[in-house]
Amino acid sequence: MPALLEVDDLHMHFFTRDGVVKAVDGVSFTLEAGRTLGVVGESGSGKSVTALSIMRLIPEPPGKVVSGDVRFKGESILTMSDKEQRKLRGNRIAMIFQDPMTSLNPVHRIGKQIAEPLRLHKNFTRKEAWDAAVELLAQVGIPQAAERARDYPHEFSGGMRQRAMIAMALACGPDILIADEPTTALDVTIQAQILELMQEIQARTESAIIMITHDLGVVADMADHVLVMYAGKAVEFGPADEVFYRPVHPYTWGWLESLPRHDVDEKGLLCPIKGQPPSLINLPGGCSFGPRCAFARDSCRETEPHLVDIGNGHLSACHYCGDDEFVAQSPRCAAGGR
Amino acid sequence: MEDLQAAEQVNSPDGAGGGNGDSQAQEVGGRGRTLRGDAWRRLRRNKLALAGLTWIVIIILIAVTADLWVTRVLGDPIEIDTTRTAELSLQSPSAHHPFGTDKLGRDIASRVVYGARVSLLIGVVAVAIMVIIGLIMGAIAAYYGGIWDSLIMRTADIFFAFPYVLFAIALIAVLGKGIQNVFIAIGLLGWPSIARVFRSSILSVKETEYVDAARAMGASTPRILFRHIMPNAMAPIIVYATMSVGGAILTEAALSFLGMGVVPPAPSWGGMLSEARGYLFTAPWLMLYPGIAILTTVLAFVLLGDGLRDALDVKLKE
Repeated sequence: MPALLEVDDLHMHFFTRDGVVKAVDGVSFTLEAGRTLGVVGESGSGKSVTALSIMRLIPEPPGKVVSGDVRFKGESILTMSDKEQRKLRGNRIAMIFQDPMTSLNPVHRIGKQIAEPLRLHKNFTRKEAWDAAVELLAQVGIPQAAERARDYPHEFSGGMRQRAMIAMALACGPDILIADEPTTALDVTIQAQILELMQEIQARTESAIIMITHDLGVVADMADHVLVMYAGKAVEFGPADEVFYRPVHPYTWGWLESLPRHDVDEKGLLCPIKGQPPSLINLPGGCSFGPRCAFARDSCRETEPHLVDIGNGHLSACHYCGDDEFVAQSPRCAAGGR
Repeated sequence: MEDLQAAEQVNSPDGAGGGNGDSQAQEVGGRGRTLRGDAWRRLRRNKLALAGLTWIVIIILIAVTADLWVTRVLGDPIEIDTTRTAELSLQSPSAHHPFGTDKLGRDIASRVVYGARVSLLIGVVAVAIMVIIGLIMGAIAAYYGGIWDSLIMRTADIFFAFPYVLFAIALIAVLGKGIQNVFIAIGLLGWPSIARVFRSSILSVKETEYVDAARAMGASTPRILFRHIMPNAMAPIIVYATMSVGGAILTEAALSFLGMGVVPPAPSWGGMLSEARGYLFTAPWLMLYPGIAILTTVLAFVLLGDGLRDALDVKLKE
């Protein structure tokens, strides 16, 4: 049986006046039903574009899938007709956006917006859809849901709006829920609540979640698998335990090292990854991370590494990820030289 | 967790309005009030806009009920009493003729009232024509873009490059005089502004996240356009159309003044001004009252439009 979602060497490029922006340049992963995939990476590393490509929400032109495939239950999404794609969107694959303040339509009542996917995909009558929307609002923890469903978005706080967005995404009982930094725009207590809500929902509905985030803490908390992206490429992918406890890619090391820690006495110094992410129009030759990598060797500047399986479903795009001696260097803070 | 939820609910922006503790706002506020209700509440706080609206309602009432009382109380606006023309001609305002009489002995007040019918009709119908054309053109230009955008917006630019009144006169010269041709001329000339405003309005709404969210929900293109984009792009059009009613009334007055509008003896404010030209010093009331009528009506529409702009602007919401 094919996996729920397979992304196979996806290349999504944008053809702009300034050149070809390789926003997603070789991303592969699989997602099984009921599991959570955490996608991490810097801003501009292609996390959101990957998610939007799965939803087919990238305007074409300027975007174009140059190569690769996205398969939902074994069927390619890229070759589907518009109509078939629409049947998937919001129905089998739903998305939660980053900023709940702007992702609800200000002129429609909350209840009507939650009811809309049901009207579109399930042929519910207006009344049935409304009742279902009220029920969903209650499920995501909005008190007095029947009354609050009649509110407009501006009458909701940020946390409540994100709950409403989640209710909207859940309406049709999707197989996959894509959450694009769902907590970035919220304050910390509300963040914790929203994450808790999503875990609770996953336990109940068994939908798979793709969680896009900058926040490794969120990933550690929720994800079964982790995909680390850099400059449009997947650099490390594997089960969360593998990636966190046995990271093999220097970029992942850098990520883990750059986290503020309170359990180590380091005089409060942070250890950021040095340098800037490269321009996606003009990628450096060889390994994209090479110029920032403290362990780069000559071969890194010459040949581009590809994802290699090093066992346990753990993949990495580093020339030396299979080299035990190299991986043993995995320092607590090599970049900072402590 | 539950405590936090409760706190969150208390902190939620509950009364969107109610800034100056106005009791009516409290009364209207609460669950399930509509966006339109909100806008109406903000509009009511704007005294000038309210004055404009009141004046418009009064004029509409007078114009609509004119047949019931004007002829009896003030006299016929068109018929000339040929037996007493000399006696009735150019009387100054009096109890019997509150605005005086014109050269042919017709009551000015009665003619101003019937002129209101023409002006309002022109304002509404001509603006309706220009709004309909403008909305369609603007929507096509914004949503389909590319060649359609260029074609429509360049045509609009050409319209902008023409002297407005001259173009109207030329159109009427071709179509012939008469009120329906005034509608057509004003409607045909006015659409480019509406199209331009609507186009930019749609373009800005199209980029919002809630439109992406609607697409992510699986909504079709027409549904996104009509249900999600249009309602959010309408506010500037409502404002612009309201102000344009004033503009259309002025254009009609200008055309009638030049003898290209409403055909005499039918009364129209512009036409009355034209007839009054020769009596500016001997019988100033001939010019005064239609002039005041034009001024106040146009001003009322502009003030209302201004108020609507503030009332419909979601960004100004406290």
